[in-house]
Amino acid sequence: MSNILDEIPYIVTPRKDTGLFNSKIAIWLFLASEVMLFGGLFSGYIFLRIYADYPWPERALPITPGFINTFILIGSSVTVVFAWAALKMRQWRQFQIYMAITLVCAAAFMVLKGFEYSAKFAHHAVRLTDSWAVAEGHFHKGEDTQAAGGPGGEGSTPNVINFSVTGVTVDLGKYHEPYIEDLLEQSGDVSLVLTQDSLKLLETTLRREKALEEESDDDRVEFLQAAIADPKLSTDLLDDAQEMYLDFRSSNAKLRTDALRAAWEKVRRNGSSSTELNSRELAGDVKIDSAALDPHLRREVSSLTFEAAKPFKVQLSPNAVREGADKSVLLDGTVLDGELLSSPFVLAVDTLDFRHTAMKAEERQQDPMDVIENSWLITEHPEIKKVWDAHKVEVEELRQELIEKHGVDKKTGAPNRVPNENDLYRVTWQEMVTTLGEEETKPGVFAGFTGPSHSKYTFPVISVPRERVAFESNLTPKWNTYYAIYFLITGLHGLHVIGGAVVLGYYLFCGRKMYETNPEWLANRVEVGGLFWHFVDLVWIFLFPIMYLM
Amino acid sequence: MSAAVTSDHGAEHDHHHHDPGFVRKYIFSTDHKIIGIQYGITALLFLLFGFFLMMVMRWSIAYPHVPLPGWLSMFFSDGWKAQWLQDGKVTGETYNMFGAMHGTIMVFLGVVPLGFGAFGNYVTPLQIGAPDMAFPRLNMMSYWIYLAGGLVMCLSFFTDSGAAKSGWTNYSPLSSFADSQFVNQLFTGQTLWLIGLVLLITSSLLGSVNFITTIINLRAKGMTWMRMPFFCWAMLVTAFLLLLAFPPLEVAGLMQLMDRMVGSSFFLPTGLYNKDYGVVDVSGGGSPLLFQHLFWFLGHPEVYVLLLPGIACVAEIIPANTRKPLWGYKPMVYSVIILGFLSFIVWAHHMYLTGMGPVISTFFQTTTVLISIPSVILLTSMIISLWGGSIRFTVPMMWALAFLPMFGIGGLTGLPLAFNLADMHLHDSYYVIGHFHYVVAPGILFGLFAGIYFWYPKMFGRQMNKFLGHLHFWPSLVLINLLFFPMLIQGMAGFHRRWYNGGDAYVAKEADSTNVFAQTVLQHIDLNVLMSWSAFLLALAQLPFIINLFTAWFAGKRVKNDNPWDATTLEWSTPTPPGHGNFLTEPSAYRGPYEYSRPDYPETDFVPQWLEPKHKDAKPEVVEQTVEADDSARQSVEP
Repeated sequence: MSNILDEIPYIVTPRKDTGLFNSKIAIWLFLASEVMLFGGLFSGYIFLRIYADYPWPERALPITPGFINTFILIGSSVTVVFAWAALKMRQWRQFQIYMAITLVCAAAFMVLKGFEYSAKFAHHAVRLTDSWAVAEGHFHKGEDTQAAGGPGGEGSTPNVINFSVTGVTVDLGKYHEPYIEDLLEQSGDVSLVLTQDSLKLLETTLRREKALEEESDDDRVEFLQAAIADPKLSTDLLDDAQEMYLDFRSSNAKLRTDALRAAWEKVRRNGSSSTELNSRELAGDVKIDSAALDPHLRREVSSLTFEAAKPFKVQLSPNAVREGADKSVLLDGTVLDGELLSSPFVLAVDTLDFRHTAMKAEERQQDPMDVIENSWLITEHPEIKKVWDAHKVEVEELRQELIEKHGVDKKTGAPNRVPNENDLYRVTWQEMVTTLGEEETKPGVFAGFTGPSHSKYTFPVISVPRERVAFESNLTPKWNTYYAIYFLITGLHGLHVIGGAVVLGYYLFCGRKMYETNPEWLANRVEVGGLFWHFVDLVWIFLFPIMYLM
Repeated sequence: MSAAVTSDHGAEHDHHHHDPGFVRKYIFSTDHKIIGIQYGITALLFLLFGFFLMMVMRWSIAYPHVPLPGWLSMFFSDGWKAQWLQDGKVTGETYNMFGAMHGTIMVFLGVVPLGFGAFGNYVTPLQIGAPDMAFPRLNMMSYWIYLAGGLVMCLSFFTDSGAAKSGWTNYSPLSSFADSQFVNQLFTGQTLWLIGLVLLITSSLLGSVNFITTIINLRAKGMTWMRMPFFCWAMLVTAFLLLLAFPPLEVAGLMQLMDRMVGSSFFLPTGLYNKDYGVVDVSGGGSPLLFQHLFWFLGHPEVYVLLLPGIACVAEIIPANTRKPLWGYKPMVYSVIILGFLSFIVWAHHMYLTGMGPVISTFFQTTTVLISIPSVILLTSMIISLWGGSIRFTVPMMWALAFLPMFGIGGLTGLPLAFNLADMHLHDSYYVIGHFHYVVAPGILFGLFAGIYFWYPKMFGRQMNKFLGHLHFWPSLVLINLLFFPMLIQGMAGFHRRWYNGGDAYVAKEADSTNVFAQTVLQHIDLNVLMSWSAFLLALAQLPFIINLFTAWFAGKRVKNDNPWDATTLEWSTPTPPGHGNFLTEPSAYRGPYEYSRPDYPETDFVPQWLEPKHKDAKPEVVEQTVEADDSARQSVEP
């Protein structure tokens, strides 16, 4: 296999009629498929944006890091060409320098990207039920929150459902062990024991199992006796119960299948009129003889219910639970009986977004300003109202400014330029800090490099009751399709940057040997890697304006 | 892989005298021939598995009230049966699972790897006179990634959720919610399906880059574009389709993965309601239609990825067995290129019923009808190729001959589907199933069977048994028609493709004004039994092939020489089986690929590409000549 490469022509020198060496054709083809990949992604972006039924976030991302990244990538595209040229001129040292600069650029790009991503992960948003109003901010974990029934202290999980548990029903077919372990841990010293009904079920099962005589399974009998004697919830108990359930289900299914087959056999033997088997016409006559079969069947226990000696409080992750007032269902089918406790969503608000409110109001032919000012967010929170009032003043100033700058239409008297939706209905964190007196003037580009700083400024804290939360998420793909496509495209682009850097790094750090034996081949490889690198750069050139500026 | 591949004949010619060891040589091999055979065997196994899934489904369609018979259910464990069968009968959910996986396995793991992976890998470098593929290690990687993708998909049968159940098309939002009741989303059938798909796409991308580079840069001396066998042209176009059509599907797959794993809403509209969850806790704002566009942007070119290798095999077999040149070689080449182009702009004819609007529908209707022109040219050329030939009815030729009318039926039944008015009635009916199965099964698969019988002697140095070949062919031909033709009838009557009980639910109730459809169903429902038994017997009819394939490996009749079919293309000039590096001397092509029955060579009825011309001064054109140069000048080099 080593010498097959010696036999394959045009690895180093180009073929004369095509003028290309093999890997150069390959990289162009690969890039063509990459064009289709990113073409698909950008088409997806256009499709999603055109058909979006919510206000598409415009210029929602901090521009500075993206802008810097653009130049970092362009610079690295230049140095990778210099590296290739150095190799062509057989200047190893220069190659090393230029290639190293390229890799440093790649690293810098990824670091900036990392800052941007982590800012998004830390930034939460909540859409309220009453008015489609959106408040963005960071989770607040101060002691005042704890007093309000929210989570307390640093390091606690900020977003939880509080539930007071009186009973637990476990679905033995599909329960998820970590959930049960977590529940047991949170129950502390409150014991969970089987309810009378569940115990009766196990006793019936035990009686049946014993009645099966020679077919009865000693292990199961033993387990059932142990469980009835000590009916406390434990993972071991559930393990065995699950095993028993699956085992009984299998053996019952087998018996029922055999019985159905036998029933068909009987009908077919008796049905003299037609020799061929006509499933459809005979179906009505074929019945499993339940009376005969029943004594052979095992009693399947598919779920067990446990009751708590006294109610205990648990904290559940919102992703794992569908909550109701007196019942919560975990993802694995485990049902918690009890009472839903207050589980507010406590947020230090740095951005208000009423664009969706305005859009919905206009659809209903209401005055957007009316709806906004009567929303729960503004009527119940004086600090937010203060911010909003200041925002209205600022919008008016902007309106005047635009009229002064661009004038009015001579015929109608209408202004040539008016504030847009973003200006009208979105209160940015920069506005917030000036209104609340944290800063005199609006912060500059580097003040909040990747977004608002919650360590530098204090933002108003609001506590949103769970039932007022229509939808909540941090600014990740879950929040809306804009962030979904943003993370998908930039994530894939980031993977391309890493992949390209790994390949170029390989040439830099492991290329010496090849340089000594076959420098032209190495130059070809660097050329091909460089072409890929240019493509990665090109994608960013499209990506930056589309995602950050438009 | 067995020792048979190292027949001493091949080893003799291995002029490099290096022994890479068994694992390197037969398992992690970089030799395109071994990789081709690996692809072939893996793909055949997947085809068998896909066939088995279909038999279970067909049992449920014909006998919805009868438990699966022992010979079908013996492959399942008791626990699996308890979970997925009800009293031994197939449930709707299980039927959907098998249906989705049948489609996926047949298309992505069976036919494409057999046609493109196996034949493309084995034959293409030989036909263009290359020592191997341009990137042998990449080639090896393609195979192993394909295998990994296939296994990931198939292993999902053993997860708690079972395998994917949303059809092979995996439309969102259905598939975005499938298995969402499971805590660990990574190990659900639908997620594993998507991960498997991404692996398969990676494999095809690497493969297609490799194929195109090989064909562009590794052609032998004198192998100009218009001297390239049609097979290579078809492979070139197929590779381009894979290269350019698959990435958008990868996008769709990644988006759906995100919808499932991180809760995004690419394909989920606002206010989506689910019977288990009520209004779903997602942001919404996405579009289910986006998925369909991205899917079918691959989905339609994929049809031609399936088809072209089949046509390619037949186009090689027909001239060799009619002893006359392929009629209309050049129009066929141009047709296949145009076909490739057009296949990118017809995708939305799968989506007439989505409400895209009449303008878009009309556009896609027009392009769809246009694409039938190159297809008809291909098929007609091959039929005319038979005219006046002295046909040798060898086993591969039998399959190739059956391909022509069978693919014809498949193609012609597609025409009504191209028109959006007719499609409104036929959409999602058994007619569609009948149509594309005619294209794929008796069409493409027959072509590929022909290919197996044709190149087997080159691969292993032994002929496959002729009697077993006929025993395979005739029952397959009859049964496959009994299986698929009634589908067209049922479909026109309105039978829906996803009835897991074959329409039984309609006739279980009296036919009255609330159930008017029952009369129609009653008229055609008995065809289900005929079709199902045809399917079961068709499985039996594959036994001679399986026996033949493996016994001929060591017990078949040895071939008399390196060119048992007296064919003209370069692969028949190699040792049998070809050793490492393929050719003993540097190969040259002196003429076009199908020079049969030339009057100026009276002593033989074929003039192979590698035969040096009679005139000493006639030299093979060196590859340095420009590609665009008129090739007619080249063909007249010989007097």
